[in-house]
Amino acid sequence: MAMWQSVLRRVLLFAITWWILVEGEVRSWWFGVPVVLVAATASLVLVSPTTLVWFELARFVPFFLVRSFAGGVDVAWRALHPGMPIEPHMIEYPTRLRPGLPLVFLANTVSLLPGTLSVALNTGFLNVHVLSGRRELQSELESLEDRVAALFGITLPVPSRGVI
Amino acid sequence: MILSDYVAAVLLLVGVFFFLAGTVGLVRFPDVYTRLHALTKSDNVGLGFVVMGLAVEAESWFVVGKLLLIWMLVLLAGASVAHLIARGATQRGVRMWTD
Amino acid sequence: MQLFNLALGLLLLMTLGGGIWRALRGPSAADRMLSVQVFGTAAVAVLLLLAQAFGQAALRDVALAFALLAAVTAVAFVRRAWAEEVDCDPE
Repeated sequence: MAMWQSVLRRVLLFAITWWILVEGEVRSWWFGVPVVLVAATASLVLVSPTTLVWFELARFVPFFLVRSFAGGVDVAWRALHPGMPIEPHMIEYPTRLRPGLPLVFLANTVSLLPGTLSVALNTGFLNVHVLSGRRELQSELESLEDRVAALFGITLPVPSRGVI
Repeated sequence: MILSDYVAAVLLLVGVFFFLAGTVGLVRFPDVYTRLHALTKSDNVGLGFVVMGLAVEAESWFVVGKLLLIWMLVLLAGASVAHLIARGATQRGVRMWTD
Repeated sequence: MQLFNLALGLLLLMTLGGGIWRALRGPSAADRMLSVQVFGTAAVAVLLLLAQAFGQAALRDVALAFALLAAVTAVAFVRRAWAEEVDCDPE
């Protein structure tokens, strides 16, 4: 049942993409239908079915747009400022997400947000290059990870502030 | 010029500004990691504004859709490539710059 | 608007200058790869501006293809040409 739903969703996704690509040209569906089916099949083989919570997506998109805009402003300001105010350092963020698509999504999102660039994705750790020392980066990354988890319908354990 | 022309012009100018800022970062920043910050973030925001500026005056919704599709593609590619370059640089032992 | 778009396109071409400078200057291979990325994104923006300035819808498709190619090129380059020199690549 769930399999059929994800097949249907993928087909719909690629059909919409095709429809946009050909700018609504009706005759192109002769070619489009097989392409959409092949693309949907290939995508299911390459990326196994994933849950995506649509309501969370609607929350994530504005958050992402605002934060990545802030990221652009932040780095543009630092680049143009005569004194170039940067103090780069590297941090190691312990991830709670398991390896897979959501974790990759997290790493990519981190790179677009203000002052952070994901450098290496190891088991259990994400190495983040920070452009300038400031703020509570740890809690910011935690809340981002929570958002990503919610987006993919995953429940994460509460972050452990352990002794290391 | 009508209102939408002005809106489009402002959005496009902002977009180009971010591209230029990204290039300044590419030239000025001291190491590969900081340059990656400049590029991935400002170029993506820059392209976002260019896409918005063009969308305001697009002749159909399909064009708007295509512009958004292109932006999302570049966003995804930019972030992934930045990660790969950064990871490659650490594996090769490229030192990061500190004060 | 046509002239305006063209002028902006020219300004964006200047960013390619910065990219070329970085590619020549290096110092590391990673720095040179950065310029590949600049070219990709800036070229997409220029093509989109031209598509609208000249009313050439086909240029938008060129931009799309460019975006795809730039991504594939950069990933292939990092994973093949560059990463091969690094012994361990756990994947």
